[in-house]
Amino acid sequence: MDIELSEISSFIQSIPPFDSLPKPTIALLIRELSINYLRKGEALPPKGINEPRLYIVRKGALSCLSRNGELISRLGEGDLCTAFCKHDLQNTKQGISNTVFKNQSHVVTDEDSLLYSVENKILADIGNKYPCVNDYFSHNSAERLKQKMSQVNEEAIISSSLMNTSVSNFYHSPVAGIACDESIQQAAIHMTEKGYSCLVVLDNNKSVGIVTDKDIRRRCVAKGIAITTPISEIMTRNMSTIDIKSNAYDALMAMTAKHIHHLPVTQEGDVVGMVTVTDLMNNEGHNAVNFSSIIHKAKNLTELKEISDLLPKLQIRLAKLGSSADHVGKSISAITMAFTKRLIEMAEQRYGQAPVPYAWLAAGSQARQEQLAHSDQDNAIIICNSMKPYDDAWFENLAHFVCDGLANCGFIYCPGDIMATNPKWRQPMRIWQSYFSDWVGTPAPKALLNASVFFDLDTLYGDPSLLKIVRSDMLSKTQSNSLFIAHLTKNALGLRPPLGFFRDFVLKQNGKHKATLDLKHNGIAPIVDLARIYALSQGISAVNTIERIQQAAGTSAITKSSAENLLDAYAFLGMLRVKHQAQKLILVQEADNYLSPKELSKLEREHLKDAFKVIKTLQDSRQASF
Amino acid sequence: MVKNALFNFLTGYEAKRKRLVNKAPKGPLKDFLSVPFPDLNTSINQLSMLAVDFETTGLDAKGDKLLSVGFVAMEQGQIKLNTCYHQIIKTKDLLQENNVIIHHITDEQKNRGEKLRTVIEALLKALAGKVMLVHFSRIERQFLTQACIELYGISPQFPIIDTLVIAKRQLDKRDVAYDPSELRLANLRHKHQLPAHHGHNALNDAIATAELFLAQINTKAKTDKIQLKNLLL
Repeated sequence: MDIELSEISSFIQSIPPFDSLPKPTIALLIRELSINYLRKGEALPPKGINEPRLYIVRKGALSCLSRNGELISRLGEGDLCTAFCKHDLQNTKQGISNTVFKNQSHVVTDEDSLLYSVENKILADIGNKYPCVNDYFSHNSAERLKQKMSQVNEEAIISSSLMNTSVSNFYHSPVAGIACDESIQQAAIHMTEKGYSCLVVLDNNKSVGIVTDKDIRRRCVAKGIAITTPISEIMTRNMSTIDIKSNAYDALMAMTAKHIHHLPVTQEGDVVGMVTVTDLMNNEGHNAVNFSSIIHKAKNLTELKEISDLLPKLQIRLAKLGSSADHVGKSISAITMAFTKRLIEMAEQRYGQAPVPYAWLAAGSQARQEQLAHSDQDNAIIICNSMKPYDDAWFENLAHFVCDGLANCGFIYCPGDIMATNPKWRQPMRIWQSYFSDWVGTPAPKALLNASVFFDLDTLYGDPSLLKIVRSDMLSKTQSNSLFIAHLTKNALGLRPPLGFFRDFVLKQNGKHKATLDLKHNGIAPIVDLARIYALSQGISAVNTIERIQQAAGTSAITKSSAENLLDAYAFLGMLRVKHQAQKLILVQEADNYLSPKELSKLEREHLKDAFKVIKTLQDSRQASF
Repeated sequence: MVKNALFNFLTGYEAKRKRLVNKAPKGPLKDFLSVPFPDLNTSINQLSMLAVDFETTGLDAKGDKLLSVGFVAMEQGQIKLNTCYHQIIKTKDLLQENNVIIHHITDEQKNRGEKLRTVIEALLKALAGKVMLVHFSRIERQFLTQACIELYGISPQFPIIDTLVIAKRQLDKRDVAYDPSELRLANLRHKHQLPAHHGHNALNDAIATAELFLAQINTKAKTDKIQLKNLLL
């Protein structure tokens, strides 16, 4: 064919699902096209065409209207109009229908338009040979999105193995153990002989702790403790472990968050092996562990600041590695946590030990482990009920030291003043409990909107039991309070996904457009809100959006299949966001959430439309349940 | 009305067709002339047309050669790509380099081409009963006439609509000076906001001409009132 019909061919080839067809098939398809020219305001199908056809906009614009005149979507160059073709190509193949598909929508041209069209039976023939074409037309948006996400996961497997590899591929087994009454010297001899840097301490064959060569150096030799002392004196009790079924990435994150280099691997509660940072590092070139350990070693604020400047680079690396938004969020959140912890340690050095037990809390995206580089800080302090009024001075100092330190490291002050420096959010447990009982018991929409960030809380430092008590108290209230859930839902529905795209415009619900799409508020936030509602209505304590949806799946809040669709939509939007921010960071621009439709490929636009549809469907069903 | 029909019968192209059909030798040209031309009062929306484009070695039908032929049919305002035809013609002469630059047909491609007779036969068969749609009709009219004289010894009649003439009439009506380059196919398409096309391939140009024609008649106030006689050359 050479240059014959080359424009038509390259045009058709760029449009999904035809983009996956081989050239000879494209050539066949092109030979079956008809070209029509419709004047502005004319309705489809063109006069004289009665058979079902698929229309492709070559130039111009179409509006699809519902029967009552509401704008459903606008189609621009390269968009497919399926209103006049039977979606089920299989049936057409059997020669059932020769009449125009009785569609409910009405399609008119908004401009003079050049349209290509192809008969259903030709599409059906192609679809028979290439199921991907059939799938495209027969699947609904949720199914198409699922297909896309499974492809993305495949890419991720290729580009980054860690997140898809089980811990079982990395751990050493059997693990070297030592009885708890053996001496420190015995342990050192044992480690030297075996070449291990770490031993599990056993009491009657039950693991009770872990000892590393670092412990021998720091807790024994440096302190002048006799080498005949039982090993149990210097071991770390309450060791962190990871289940053998977890993926390697989670192991890495657990170690990053806790600044440890060895993690015992358990199977049904028994220690069966050990995984080390080195094992994982060798596999993944760049990771957050490095980062956390430098942060931990930082001596002063200046050093912390220098490290924080590298954060955008880490996010770019993670995005380039093909990490999913979930993993980028977890990595960045782990690092923010490391910064916060280091600052709290510095504050404790400066102001002395805390007068009473407390917990430093992260709120919002940090708590949900969905943070991206240099987002604003949301934090709070929950203090033991035994605090005396004069104790607050210490906590005020702590709050200012940490918040100023974070701001210095690029985590801007929260514009809504949701920070521990605000006395309102630096309170003993009983006050927090009264806050929640007000929010839940007598919900006021406005107040609730501002408070929603407190329904996503996580302990970063200190005594986790404080938050645990407040949370279980809160969940018992939210679960039984349908008025509260109704108000929360009403607020959540304030953020609606747009209808879709038209050329370089985003179509908002009201039909007006804006040049960019706010990925956060139009896509991600509505899903986060839905997940929060599901969790609070079902008494789920998880705060991470994915975990919330996974745990809510199959409850009265959301069906399993809807939950899967929502997770796919969330993963896709997150991926776009990570990609977009990485591009911005590479250009040394602010990593915002405003996506220009020009950045999107044709296919991404299609998937984005699908994701919006999934969100809209679930929002609508939420609305309908009240 | 009767008078008008009689006038057309005696002097119009349909009358000439009837006289010619008796003179033509048996074969493709006679077959072509045996099918009546569309009625002059046919609404433009209902018309059967064949958009045609030739690539040639020059502008002189007697001295230069026809290199390739491309065409596509248009029925009731719908361009049917399954009627597409494109063929390079085998000629003896070597191609001139400055010419090859324009049409990108190489000697090698040309030597693998079809005989002129085969190509003209295919064209006449597709054109029977239809109006020929071209952009700048001089080339197609002269080269096709010349080919018919060479092959069948007779100069036939073709009903033609020329998109260049349609555009020119519109520009002339405005009584404002214009640059003749505005009348080029690519520039006219651009003016009508049609997508860019790969010019100087006979088939691409034929499709491009057909699309331009659709855009041109759709800018007119009452498309359904336009009849063949309003646009025929």
